[in-house]
Amino acid sequence: MSFVPGQPVTAVVQRIEIQKLRQEENLILGFSIGGGIDQDPGQNPFSEDKSDKGIYVTRISSGGPAELAGLRIGDKIMQVNGWDMTMVTHDDARKKLTKKKEDVVRLLVTRKSLEEAIQMMSR
Amino acid sequence: IKINTDSDETGITAVVHQFLQESKAVEQEGEKATTENQESTEMQQENLQTSATPALTSTSVLQDSTTTEEPTPEASTLPSEAVTPTTSTISTTTTTPQPQPVLQPSEPQPVNPDSQSTVYTLPDAYRGIGGDLCVGYGSLSRINLHGYWPAKNFQSGAHYTLPFLRDSYAPAGLSSQAEQDGHSERGENPLDMKTNHPAVTYPTLGGIHQFRPITTMELLREPSRTRSGYDDAFMAQLEGNLNPFFQAMCRAQTLQVPHKRSSMVSLDSIRRDPRWRDPNLHEVISMLSHPMDPVKSNAAAYLQHLCYENDRIKQEVRHLNGVPILVGLLDHPKAEVHRKACGALRNISFGKDHNNKMAIKNCDGIQALVRLLRKSSSMEVKELVTGTLWNLSSHEPLKMMVINHGLQTLTDEIIIPHSGWRRDLADPSKLQSAEWTTVFKNTSGCLRNVSSDGAEARQRLRECEGLVAALLHALQSAVLNKDTDNKSVENCVCILRNLSYHVHKELPGAERFQEPHGNHLIRSIGHPKKNEPDAFSGKRPKDKRLEHFHIYKLAWLELLYQPEVVRLYLSLLTCSHNHNTLEAAAGALQNLAAGHWAWSSYIRATVRKEKGLPLLVELLRADVDKVVRAVAIALRNLAMDRRNKDLIGTGNYALRDLVGNLPCGQQHPAKNLEGDTVVSILNTIHEIITDNPENARLLIQGHAVQKLVAINKSSQSARETKAASHVLQTIWAYKDLRNTLNKAGWNKSHFKPTTTGVPKKSKSGKQGSDDITLPLMDKNQGQRITALVKEFLSCDMFFSCKSAQAISERKHFIRAGRPAVGLMDNKPPPLDSWV
Repeated sequence: MSFVPGQPVTAVVQRIEIQKLRQEENLILGFSIGGGIDQDPGQNPFSEDKSDKGIYVTRISSGGPAELAGLRIGDKIMQVNGWDMTMVTHDDARKKLTKKKEDVVRLLVTRKSLEEAIQMMSR
Repeated sequence: IKINTDSDETGITAVVHQFLQESKAVEQEGEKATTENQESTEMQQENLQTSATPALTSTSVLQDSTTTEEPTPEASTLPSEAVTPTTSTISTTTTTPQPQPVLQPSEPQPVNPDSQSTVYTLPDAYRGIGGDLCVGYGSLSRINLHGYWPAKNFQSGAHYTLPFLRDSYAPAGLSSQAEQDGHSERGENPLDMKTNHPAVTYPTLGGIHQFRPITTMELLREPSRTRSGYDDAFMAQLEGNLNPFFQAMCRAQTLQVPHKRSSMVSLDSIRRDPRWRDPNLHEVISMLSHPMDPVKSNAAAYLQHLCYENDRIKQEVRHLNGVPILVGLLDHPKAEVHRKACGALRNISFGKDHNNKMAIKNCDGIQALVRLLRKSSSMEVKELVTGTLWNLSSHEPLKMMVINHGLQTLTDEIIIPHSGWRRDLADPSKLQSAEWTTVFKNTSGCLRNVSSDGAEARQRLRECEGLVAALLHALQSAVLNKDTDNKSVENCVCILRNLSYHVHKELPGAERFQEPHGNHLIRSIGHPKKNEPDAFSGKRPKDKRLEHFHIYKLAWLELLYQPEVVRLYLSLLTCSHNHNTLEAAAGALQNLAAGHWAWSSYIRATVRKEKGLPLLVELLRADVDKVVRAVAIALRNLAMDRRNKDLIGTGNYALRDLVGNLPCGQQHPAKNLEGDTVVSILNTIHEIITDNPENARLLIQGHAVQKLVAINKSSQSARETKAASHVLQTIWAYKDLRNTLNKAGWNKSHFKPTTTGVPKKSKSGKQGSDDITLPLMDKNQGQRITALVKEFLSCDMFFSCKSAQAISERKHFIRAGRPAVGLMDNKPPPLDSWV
């Protein structure tokens, strides 16, 4: 999932739609993100390319909306409701996911297995 | 319907038809079904295909689905259709995510006999055994033949081949062509497809591709059966004798497949089919827990192969929890399994990433390895176990564990037998010479690592019965056989050097050997004592031991005073060309000669008597940094003896050689020596001229002052500067020499430090840090530094010594190309936020 700076990024993605769950007065998605352009990419255990500063799913609460929707740990989030997630700070990513007025987030996520599948097919 | 133009094919077709008579009805049914439903099946297949793949991986199609669990149900529904057994076969094949091959299988179905016939034209049509894409998506015929229906609920991820199954002789061109054809034909009438590229269907070894692909699981289960079956089939094929072929194929194909993950594939189809992929790591690791032993052992071997020099995969294996399984396999009764598991562990444990080593330790890997070592009689297994232990022992926290669990075993099982030493035999002539086996090398390497772990470790090794005696014996036989350059010798000498470090302090009851040089604390600190390991370490009984041990102890102590060990080290210095061995032997002598103990004085005298001094001086001319350094410090310790000092200074041109080693200030140094070495040489010079005006005069005559002043002024290293200034001060302290110096143009300012006077303490601290020649680590440069710190801290060093220590530590780091500050150490933990 490495990219060439300046070139458009292409990736095989899966669309995941998560319905936020209302818990008291919070809307939760049930996963946790890591990464961001202000974070240290070398500590990301999920990324192929250790200089990848994208937003990754680091934890998923079991049975939560994210897991039900098909999100998996290690997924890299490419877009949230159309907003790009490949070049954002950690906090920006968090904000885009936790907009109070939205109760659904549509993510585009990618993972290595998707890429592999496509490679398989195209081989 | 496939159109075959080859006449031979038709002939064979007839035979095929006969053979398949029984199932013909069904076949035709199937044919019809397939012909009619081809579109639909294809579509289904396609869906199945795409939906199936996500179980393994996700495809773009899956975007619409929200879970990855769906495909399985889909797959299972399809075979339930009465119409097409093909779909069931396809279901199995679809696990390999490739849409286009899916279509292909549909082709042969309607024309089973024909397609089969085309297949069997192989003898003629052995053209490009490539790109067979209609890899036996299980033919109708076959299924009916054997009355076997493939499992309906395949598990994605089950279908994979081991790499060796890939047929490399399939010409790539043909495959790609076939694939391209497949692609272009996709979605069209399969009939058309067939006509368009008949080439695709045939080129297999007999109708192998008519059969469903066999998974590696199956092959592993009954490898001999399948492969021999295929071999027979192939042979039958070539001979054009088809009945045996079929029989053989049937034999090969009918595997008892209790596991629901079975699907039948021909060997060649696996080989040729580019869709079959190597198992991914997850699968390999789950194969480790497979009930069948051959599967386990092959999986372990494959892991070993994957992990070779691939840190990322090693990390992945650890993440996927493969390590505890492998450790568990070490206890497996079958040699094949535990040997391969050990091999995999060895690869995993190797490398800079110590998490892997910790993972092994965390699941009791060290105990398991030692157990295996005891149990196994196979040399290869022992090699692997000891190799893994060697790797593990290079990680600091694990060293004590290795000692705790493995020391006695390693000594008893390997060191003593392979060294040729016999405990009970007193007659030296009966002792055999050492066997320099790989096992011995690995074990000695492992012990070398653990012996550097500090006082406790050294204590344990010294107390280990027979260890030191065996090591000494091994070295002696090496010298006798003139075989002193190998790694095992190096390891042994290093162990002995390490063990002799600080023996004087660590011997219970050794205080009585201490000479009453009460206030020479600085000196004693400054000279880390690497004492004769043999006598003390081999037989250093604790007071609580029985009486006879005391008697034994005396005998060993006597050995200590024998010149034999000194001779041993000197012989090693003479005949070895291995730099590490040279350094270690010099280091051992350094240790022996250090300190103010009765026996260290004795050793110094012994070295002199054994004509060791000229030998050491000779080695000062070596080109190798570490050797020069070790020898210089050894000489320095030896020079504590008055007579030695005289000899070194005057009789052996040592001063000349020492000075010759110094860099000439700005000019290009004669030898490009590291700062550490320069410091050691300076300290040695200092020792030589201390309390010996004659030597000091000799030094001045040798134009050393020029160099010293240059170093003092211009050296980058603070330690060098300090050492040089120290020497200069000592020279200046000899008032008699001042005249000479002044005449030569030097004045006081050259000799006295311009900065505030260096406190004596720090100087000695510096010396201390110089003198500690570290046990060399094989696997980890960092060890050096930590060992340095450990040794340093374990001595009663002055505070400033420690600060000097820190500087040298940094310098070590810099020299090693690492950042002086641990840039990566203080990273904050990665931020992650819940949303």
